[in-house]
Amino acid sequence: MIALEVRNIQKNYGKTEVLKDISFSLEKGQVLAIIGSSGSGKTTLLRCLNFLETPQEGSIVVNGKTIFDAASASQLTDEQIRENRLHFGLVFQSFNLFPQYNVLQNVTLAPTLLKLGTAQEIQEKAKKLIAQVGLSERIQAYPCQLSGGQQQRVAIARALALNPDILCFDEPTSALDPELTGEVLKVIKGLKSKDSTMIVVTHEMEFARHVADKVIFMADGIIEEMGTPEQVFGNPQKEKTKAFLQKSLEEF
Amino acid sequence: MELTTFSQQFPVVIQALNVGFVQTLKLFFVTLLGALPLGLVISFGSMSRFRGLRGVVKTIVWIVRGSPLMIQLMIIYYFPGLVLQPFLEQVLGYSVNIGWGGGESGRFTAAAVAFIFNYACYFSEIYRGGIQGVPIGQQEAGQVLGLSKSQIFFKITLLQMVKRIIPPMANEIITLVKDTSLARIIALQEIIWAGQAFMKGSQGISGQLWPLFFTAVYYLAFNGILTVLFAWLEQKLDYFKV
Amino acid sequence: MKKWIASAIAVWMLALSLTGCGGKEVAQATSDMEYVKGKGTLVVGITDFAPMDYKDAQGEWIGFDADLAKAFAESLGVEAEFVEIDWDNKVPELDGKTIDCVWNGMTLTDEVRSAMSCTNAYCNNAQVVIVPADQAANYQTAENCKELNFAVEAGSAGKAQADANGFSYTEVKDQATALMEVAAGTCDAAIIDSLMAAAMVGEGTGYADLTYTVALNSEEYGVGFRKGSDLTEALNTFFADALADGTMMKLAETYGVQAAVISE
Repeated sequence: MIALEVRNIQKNYGKTEVLKDISFSLEKGQVLAIIGSSGSGKTTLLRCLNFLETPQEGSIVVNGKTIFDAASASQLTDEQIRENRLHFGLVFQSFNLFPQYNVLQNVTLAPTLLKLGTAQEIQEKAKKLIAQVGLSERIQAYPCQLSGGQQQRVAIARALALNPDILCFDEPTSALDPELTGEVLKVIKGLKSKDSTMIVVTHEMEFARHVADKVIFMADGIIEEMGTPEQVFGNPQKEKTKAFLQKSLEEF
Repeated sequence: MELTTFSQQFPVVIQALNVGFVQTLKLFFVTLLGALPLGLVISFGSMSRFRGLRGVVKTIVWIVRGSPLMIQLMIIYYFPGLVLQPFLEQVLGYSVNIGWGGGESGRFTAAAVAFIFNYACYFSEIYRGGIQGVPIGQQEAGQVLGLSKSQIFFKITLLQMVKRIIPPMANEIITLVKDTSLARIIALQEIIWAGQAFMKGSQGISGQLWPLFFTAVYYLAFNGILTVLFAWLEQKLDYFKV
Repeated sequence: MKKWIASAIAVWMLALSLTGCGGKEVAQATSDMEYVKGKGTLVVGITDFAPMDYKDAQGEWIGFDADLAKAFAESLGVEAEFVEIDWDNKVPELDGKTIDCVWNGMTLTDEVRSAMSCTNAYCNNAQVVIVPADQAANYQTAENCKELNFAVEAGSAGKAQADANGFSYTEVKDQATALMEVAAGTCDAAIIDSLMAAAMVGEGTGYADLTYTVALNSEEYGVGFRKGSDLTEALNTFFADALADGTMMKLAETYGVQAAVISE
């Protein structure tokens, strides 16, 4: 079953084209890794999926329902945009936890405001999610009392609390000290299941290779190469892909 | 009858200063009550997406912040009766009465309007700094969680903004306490007016400078209380970092 | 933007309704007399200025001027309401109808006469020189005073006299400040109204160490109304009647200003 279909997305800021004719699809339960150098458009693509940016062309279909079509985008009300973006969850590079709320409150805030259940149901579910990311003991802690890795795990629990169809990660470990990336990647890996569809923009090639079902390599706003990890990492077809993989290998 | 000894003068002076200080406090609290919310509205105007509105609001803020409050007080108090009323009477052909009235309540209302407007403009700029200082990521995090603009403002941005603006607001509010004395230009009888009356001569006491100096004790005490209050508030919000 | 204007107007209306005068219509353009009778009060602009206008122990306004004003208001069948004003703003207060008259030992100068409709003079006054009591003997003529450094109220009749006599002076905010300057020794002498001097300097006052010497001129007090007001004539008539039946003198004696009252 196809969970997500992205058709001919195009995005430009003035004359600068950031995304050129991006199309791909994703099966339910799949993990998609998007790789590529900085400025290749990966993050912009995620932001388009989450309605933080509005593409000039193209459409987005989730579970067979068109939730965005550039042709009629201007007719969308704020209300509709809010409803449609709930198909997606987004975990930011810089966590963006709410500093004035503790771990539990960060996770329960949105479900409470959106009235997604009774207070008790929301609390129980939040506690379960916090346990899932391994932070049950820090449930009363405020973000400033947590390490970067712990903060990112809370951010993941916060995104999961709204049951998104597709969970997006925007370079989830880039802002972390190297010794903290492992715990976050482990949590993401642990989320992989039949039901959860994920898109991960990442620089962690090992992670992409071993966790992803599908890999997209982006360069200069286009999808340069797309396929299974074996295809993209093991047998890249394009010169740009080879050069990029070579370069990221050298970094180690 | 002249009261010449300090012990004769003291109770009379304190009584008069107390009455003046009540007027000072009234103006202070009414100004805060009006200017705190109005400042927020103005700050939204100055951050509006609509260029025209933004331009108008910024021009008003520039005029109000850029010109002396004393002039604003005189314009707001005298303009309706002195200019607007004769003009309207000429146009309409019959008498109208739109002045503030000469009594204490008219003077107080005019002073309150001037102070609220003036301080709202100052507050609006502090608010704007506070709101724009909250990282954009906070707003985006709220957006991707499906929250509405007002939910994002009230549940996420507001408290972070408040924490950021406490020090500049404390400054401005303490200045407000002392600025209320400007209202005596339209003969609002606040505490400095009351103290000065004993220089000119009032209630059998004349040529005395100490009552005027003594008003400073009232200001100091009240600002002391405010300082403690702000320190307490700052400490209350110390549990998180922005 | 519209919202903003609307709320500004709302604030304005609210403010007006608080003062209780929101756009009240007064019938067809009225005379000042009808205007005052219509609202039932004569608003008298004053400053705290013994013995003309000052508060008694109960906080009631009394004084030679205050009592006369009350009597005048009563003769019109209205209530006198006293409002303390900033003396510098007496003309805009009058024209803006926040007060109805200025009745506070006001010297009739050309400036005052051109800005207001003034009554006949009812009281004599003079500008006098104030010096420390222990030096009074040295300064009994205007000529002797030339070596002094004066404090005068900005824009006052006292300043005009300082100019006329070629004194060197510093301008200060009001007559009380001028007195303060002499008491503090920051100026050698001051020029103020004789009626004020009588009440404020010398034995048993706040300025026991000061006294007054030379009278530099003589001048007169009057009451000011809005230009074109018909109340001016009414008050002239009232003054004449009060003099004739002796009430004016009786009041003057109460406040110790009988010598200054113009009785012919």
